Amino acid sequence: MKNKSLLIGCSVGAVLLIFVLIIASWAISSYNSLVSLDQEVNQTWSQVENQYQRRFDLIPNLVETVKGVAEFERETYTAVTEARAKVGQIQITSEMLEDPKAFERFQAAQDNLSSALSRLLVAVENYPQLKANENFLQLQAQLEGTENRISVERRRFNESVQKFNTAIKRFPTNVIAGTFGFGEKQYFKAVTGSETAPKVEF
Amino acid sequence: MKKILFATLLIINNVFSQEEIPILNHYVNDFTATLSVEQRLHLERKLKKYDDTTSNQIVILMISKLEGSDLFDYSIRVAEKNKIGRKGKDNGILILIVKDYRKVRIEVGYGLEEIIPDAVASSIIRNIMIPYFKAGNFFEGLDKGISTIQDAIAGLYQAEKKDDFEVTPTLLITLFLLAIILTSLFRRMRRGVLGGWTYYGGSWHPIPRKGSWGGFGSFGGFGGFSGGGFRGGGGSFGGGGASGSW
Repeated sequence: MKNKSLLIGCSVGAVLLIFVLIIASWAISSYNSLVSLDQEVNQTWSQVENQYQRRFDLIPNLVETVKGVAEFERETYTAVTEARAKVGQIQITSEMLEDPKAFERFQAAQDNLSSALSRLLVAVENYPQLKANENFLQLQAQLEGTENRISVERRRFNESVQKFNTAIKRFPTNVIAGTFGFGEKQYFKAVTGSETAPKVEF
Repeated sequence: MKKILFATLLIINNVFSQEEIPILNHYVNDFTATLSVEQRLHLERKLKKYDDTTSNQIVILMISKLEGSDLFDYSIRVAEKNKIGRKGKDNGILILIVKDYRKVRIEVGYGLEEIIPDAVASSIIRNIMIPYFKAGNFFEGLDKGISTIQDAIAGLYQAEKKDDFEVTPTLLITLFLLAIILTSLFRRMRRGVLGGWTYYGGSWHPIPRKGSWGGFGSFGGFGGFSGGGFRGGGGSFGGGGASGSW
């Protein structure tokens, strides 16, 4: 009789223990997967930053070259210089990714610079001297390449944020995310006509 | 209900109305029937040999037009989907020609961006390829362009040793162990799972074999990859390269 109740007690205990172990191992593995998703977002973000920095560094040379030939386009190239200065004032860190306002400011400044640059490149089409200038052509190619890289890295960043945001919202992982303070991250919204890839809203 | 269905269909349609990204099975993929068979084979052999000796993968895609996508967007998707270049080295290059739009793009893999920066890719397009394209001589433009690219990359990457079949001590030991395991497995299988013995009449007897085992069948040979076609090696792209038009 005594033996029997001991047996029942032990088996209930064992079942509970197994249950707790299962929960704990699930919690650990989902926490770990959130951590790696978070790291992926940070990594893709640093690629985005690199490419924006690259563009930032290219601009002075480009403006100098254009200045030399197309003096008329003063308005266009000062717009580029000003937009660049604004971009330079915005500090970017990966914590910013959870702050919608800061992210919006960052994107607005960068998009503003993109449009100033594209206006400059359109204006420059009227100057045959520039189109025959190997130095300018190379700068233009570099700038185009950087814009392309930016769009690639932005897409990859958006994809990784999408994965992360879906993970932290989905039950039951959202419990873990809430407990350990994983917040939703911002991503790049398509500016009309600037991105061809269809965006999934969530 | 119907409206919802319609809206869903519309969304699905929007997502998929983008250009279909082709899977490339050759180094030279001419969907415009511009190159002659000899020209295509010449380039194909040149690029295959180049891949075999240096592991750098250069792939050509010629199409007539783009259905709505942007040149760059399309080219990076083709490059990514076909994983041109080797994994880790990211040494792939895609040369895309959109013939009717008179546009060309060189898409450069991550691993080659240092050695073929955008300015160099642009210069190859403008100064070497386009003069030939203008004259309608696509073969010459591609051939010269590829040679220039190859010269630029020369010596950066070598084909992996692994590709050649080398007999090393480790390989011999592995093969030896594998042979032992396989023979013992084979013997056991022939005897049956319980060792092939059964107890009757007061003593153990071997089970008489019923029918034959039929051997292991053939593995179909190992020469399956030698067809000469292109296979992507897992390279990735970050948007490097340049575009041009003529």
